[in-house]
Amino acid sequence: MKQISRRTFLASSVRAALFGAYAGSGAAFAKSASWNNWSGGQTCQPAGRYDIGSEEELTSLLRNTLGPIRPVGSGHSFSPLVPTDGHLVVIDQLNGILSSDSEKNQVTLGAGSRLGDLGAQFDKIGQGMINLPDIDRQTVAGAIATGTHGTGVTLQALSSFITSLRLVTPNGSIMDIDSNDEDLLHAARVNLGALGIVTQVTMQNREAYKLKKREWAAPTEDILANFDELAANHRHFEIFPLVYSDYSLVLSIDETDEPIGEVELDAEPTSDSSIAESLGLSENPTPAERLRQSNETASRIQPSESVDISHKILSNIRNSRFNEMEYSVPAEVGAECLREILKTIYDRAIDVNFVLEYRYVGADDDWLSMAYGDHPHATISIHRAASEDYRPYFNIIEPIFWKYGGRPHWGKVHSLTHLELAELYPRFKDFMELRRELDPQGRMLNPHLRALFDE
Amino acid sequence: MKKPISHLFILALIALLLSACSSIASRNPESGEQFMPPTLSTAIVDEEVMGKWSRSCALCHITGEAGAPVVGDTVEWQRRLQKGEEAILNNVAEGINSMPPLGYCMACEVSDFRAMIAYMAGLNQ
Repeated sequence: MKQISRRTFLASSVRAALFGAYAGSGAAFAKSASWNNWSGGQTCQPAGRYDIGSEEELTSLLRNTLGPIRPVGSGHSFSPLVPTDGHLVVIDQLNGILSSDSEKNQVTLGAGSRLGDLGAQFDKIGQGMINLPDIDRQTVAGAIATGTHGTGVTLQALSSFITSLRLVTPNGSIMDIDSNDEDLLHAARVNLGALGIVTQVTMQNREAYKLKKREWAAPTEDILANFDELAANHRHFEIFPLVYSDYSLVLSIDETDEPIGEVELDAEPTSDSSIAESLGLSENPTPAERLRQSNETASRIQPSESVDISHKILSNIRNSRFNEMEYSVPAEVGAECLREILKTIYDRAIDVNFVLEYRYVGADDDWLSMAYGDHPHATISIHRAASEDYRPYFNIIEPIFWKYGGRPHWGKVHSLTHLELAELYPRFKDFMELRRELDPQGRMLNPHLRALFDE
Repeated sequence: MKKPISHLFILALIALLLSACSSIASRNPESGEQFMPPTLSTAIVDEEVMGKWSRSCALCHITGEAGAPVVGDTVEWQRRLQKGEEAILNNVAEGINSMPPLGYCMACEVSDFRAMIAYMAGLNQ
C-alpha cells in the first residue's frame, strides 16, 4: 500500500467503517481484477486487494476497516480457502531473511517469502531447510497454514519447523507465539488463515547439505511389501504408482557427500511420441490393453541418479497445471487404501493417466496437521489435469479415503465439513473455540471456512 | 531384445503423466541474488508496480524461462501485442502455458498488469 498516504488511508478507513469495506487508494478501484488459483479451479471477484508493506500497515488496516478479508499467498491451494467477495490481503512484501542464528541454525523470515526463493539464501549462510514439499512456489505463511509437507517417515510437516511466529489477529493485535505456550503454538501453525495473518516466523533449519536422488521403476506390490523398511532406510522414500499398471516409479533420496552431478545411463533417448505409443495412448483402449502396454513400458525404464544441494533435489516446479486431492491415512493401512484406489480406477475404467503419489510423513503435534498424533501417516494423492473436470474422478475416490480414516490436506480438494473433521482431528473443537475467540465476528471466514468451522 | 529406456525417458514420462518438469530445468537463477530490474524504462514506471513486477513476473520474464517473452524483447512483444492488449490481459488473468493465473502477482490489479506489459514491451521508452 505504498501509494496510499496516511491521510488518504485514514479517510478510506472512515469510509470502510461506514460502508463495511475499504475503498482502496482512491484510484479507480471500481472493479478489482478477478482472482484465480494456480489451477484455475478456484476463482473470485474480490472487492479489492491490500498489498501490505509492513506490520504497521497491517495492524492499522485491521483496526480501522470492516468487512471480510482473506490472506492469499501464491494461490497454490486447490481447495477454496481464498475466494472472497471481500478483500484479499497480500504479504509478498514481507519477505526475506530478517535475522539468523548460526549456532541454532535458525532464521527469522518474512512470512511472505516463497519457499523456492529461500534455498539459495539459506545456502549462503550455511543452512538448509530440513525438508521441502514437492512444489516450492508457496509462501511460507501459506505452506504452514495448510499443513503442507514433504516426504519422510521421520520428517514432519513444514509447520513443525516453525519455532515461533508472529500473528496479527483480526482485531489488529500482535501475538508473538513460541514454545512458552506450546498449546497455542501447536494451534497457530496450521491455521488455514483463519486466526489472523502471520507476518513472520522463525524456522528451524540444519546445516547445508547435499542429497542424492535415485529413480527407478519397480512392481508396485514388490515395493509395498517392503515399504516400511524402505521408508526407514532412506531419508525420503516414495512411489508414483502408474494407473492401469503393476508398476510404480520409485524415488529415494539420501544425504551424500558425493559431487554434484547427474548420471545418465547408456540408453537411447525416447521421444514423447514413442512414449505415447508405448503407453498405448490410442483412442479408447480397454483397461486390459492399457495394463499390458503400461507394464511393458514401465519394465524398460532404466534407473538414474543425481546429486545436488538439498533444495534443488527436494522440489519441482510444475509447468502444467492440475487439481489434486490428497488424504493421509494411518501408515498401517496406507498400502491397503492405495490398492483399493488403483483397483477402483481399473474396475471402473476411469479415464485418467496421471500417476498417484504415495509416501509417509512423520507424526507431529499440530492440532490440524494431517499427521497429528503419535504415529506416521501415509499420504496418497490423486491428480487431474486443470483443463478437465476433476469432480467425477475425485468423487469416486474420496469415499475410499474416508473408509480408511483419511484426513484431508487443507490446501487440496475435499468435501468434508466440521461434522466429519471433529471426528478426525482430536483437537478440532479446541481450534474452533480458539478461532471464535480471536475472530468472533468471523471476518476471516469465507463460505468454505464457515462450513469447516460450523459458522 | 527390447531397447532400454533412459533417465530422459523417466523425466519425459513424468512430464507426460504428472505434467511436471524437473526443478533443474526450471529453477533460475540459482544464485539467490535479488532480481534487479533491467534499466529499460524503469525511470518512468511506477515504483510500486516495479516492486510487484520484481517479486513475481521477473522470475521468468528476465531469463525467458519456460518460453516467457523476455523483458525488452520488443520484437517478440510486438508480435504478441498484435493479438491485442485485452487478449494478453486475459492470458494473465487465467494463466497460459507455463504462466500461472496472475503470474503469481496476487496484489496486482488490471492497471498494474497494463503497466507491466507496457514496460516489458518497451512501450514506455
